[in-house]
Amino acid sequence: MEFCKNKLKIKVEFINDLDLGKQAKDLGIKIWQTPSFLFIVFGFTAMIIMTATYFISKNYEDPSVLVISECLVVVVVFILEMLVTRFVEQITKLNRMKSEFVSIASHQLRTPLSAIKWETELMLKKFKKGLNKKQVKNIENIYAINQRMIHLVNDLLDVARIDQNRLILKKQKFNLVEIVKEVVAETVPKAKPRNIEISIYAKKKLPFVLGDAEKIRLVVDNLLDNAVKYTNSGGRIKIGIFKSNDSLIFEITDNGVGIPQEQVGRVFEKFFRSDNASRYQTDGTGLGLYIAKNIIEQLDGKIWFQSIENAGSVFSFSLPINKQ
Amino acid sequence: MANKKILIIEDEETLQKALTQYLEEENFEVFGAMDGEKGVEMVKKEKPDLVLLDIILPKKDGFKVLEEIKQNENTKNIPVILLTNLESIEDIQKAFDKGATTYLVKSEYKLEDIVKKINETLK
Repeated sequence: MEFCKNKLKIKVEFINDLDLGKQAKDLGIKIWQTPSFLFIVFGFTAMIIMTATYFISKNYEDPSVLVISECLVVVVVFILEMLVTRFVEQITKLNRMKSEFVSIASHQLRTPLSAIKWETELMLKKFKKGLNKKQVKNIENIYAINQRMIHLVNDLLDVARIDQNRLILKKQKFNLVEIVKEVVAETVPKAKPRNIEISIYAKKKLPFVLGDAEKIRLVVDNLLDNAVKYTNSGGRIKIGIFKSNDSLIFEITDNGVGIPQEQVGRVFEKFFRSDNASRYQTDGTGLGLYIAKNIIEQLDGKIWFQSIENAGSVFSFSLPINKQ
Repeated sequence: MANKKILIIEDEETLQKALTQYLEEENFEVFGAMDGEKGVEMVKKEKPDLVLLDIILPKKDGFKVLEEIKQNENTKNIPVILLTNLESIEDIQKAFDKGATTYLVKSEYKLEDIVKKINETLK
């Protein structure tokens, strides 16, 4: 009875193994990356090698040469198959567990962060009376640093979603120029104390683009935040928005620290921070551009940049124009 | 004119208190419930003008609470604003399908903006 159960279990597991779509979804990877797909590829490879062995051994008269060589090939290929598929499965499972951990931890972190945000706001807006200037400043600092933490947790959540192929984006039409103006207005207070000037150049009647307005706001915010962070006091940041064929192009130019030539290929990698950026500003996770690239590409746009160390950078992205 | 009544269904005491204090300062009459079951009970008893509802709650989750509010003839017209830290598209869709008026992510909203949303909803 126990044997029958085991047999049934093995059969069910085998059928599950062949469900490539389900496996890809469970592991958060593409179908061609699933262990079962690799297993099938190995199977075909084994068949081809065996056929080749047959034709080679045909030249020998003793039939046992054929049998032994075929057996040897099968054993070697099978062991290799087992090793590779187990290895891939283990890595993908670990990767998924890591992403899930980040996701759960980030959700749990958000509750105390919301509490700090609301308590400090309550103090500053409703119970400010009786507090001296120093105390108000201290509470404002707590509020600002907490906002940074919220931003970081949101970044981690986005990265976890990207890694699990679960970043779901809306496709709606919206006015890119309006969003850029709003983000600039929010950033000016950060740029002003360092005398950094931000200007926007855009024609009056530009078409709407197609994408997720909230996530594009995040991309613009990340690009502008980087520009401000890595530009020296008294620097200039120029933003241009223009039409090119079926797309709108967003372009942000700064005269900041730039990116060293030998590191330009790694700019959009997760957790990457260039050497001079880390020296210039210790605050930063290296997640902003990785998230931006994934969002833009998922919305059928492109993102690119040009940079010269100690002279500045130009970051650009394109988004499809709404045609309806 | 009598102050508008708001019911906050939220299990995190600090968040509940901060929201209550801010709303009271804005001249709302505020009630609180720390779990889903109590929340449904309070909606029936107090007939608030608006409910602020968390999703992850003990005893009965926010979706179930929302469903019960919207299925009851006496309470189905009370606007419910979901106030949570979950933000997956599935959760947002589920909330609107069940009759939520607005969906707000706690860490993204200042108390000031929550009050704005409440006033817009009560207009």
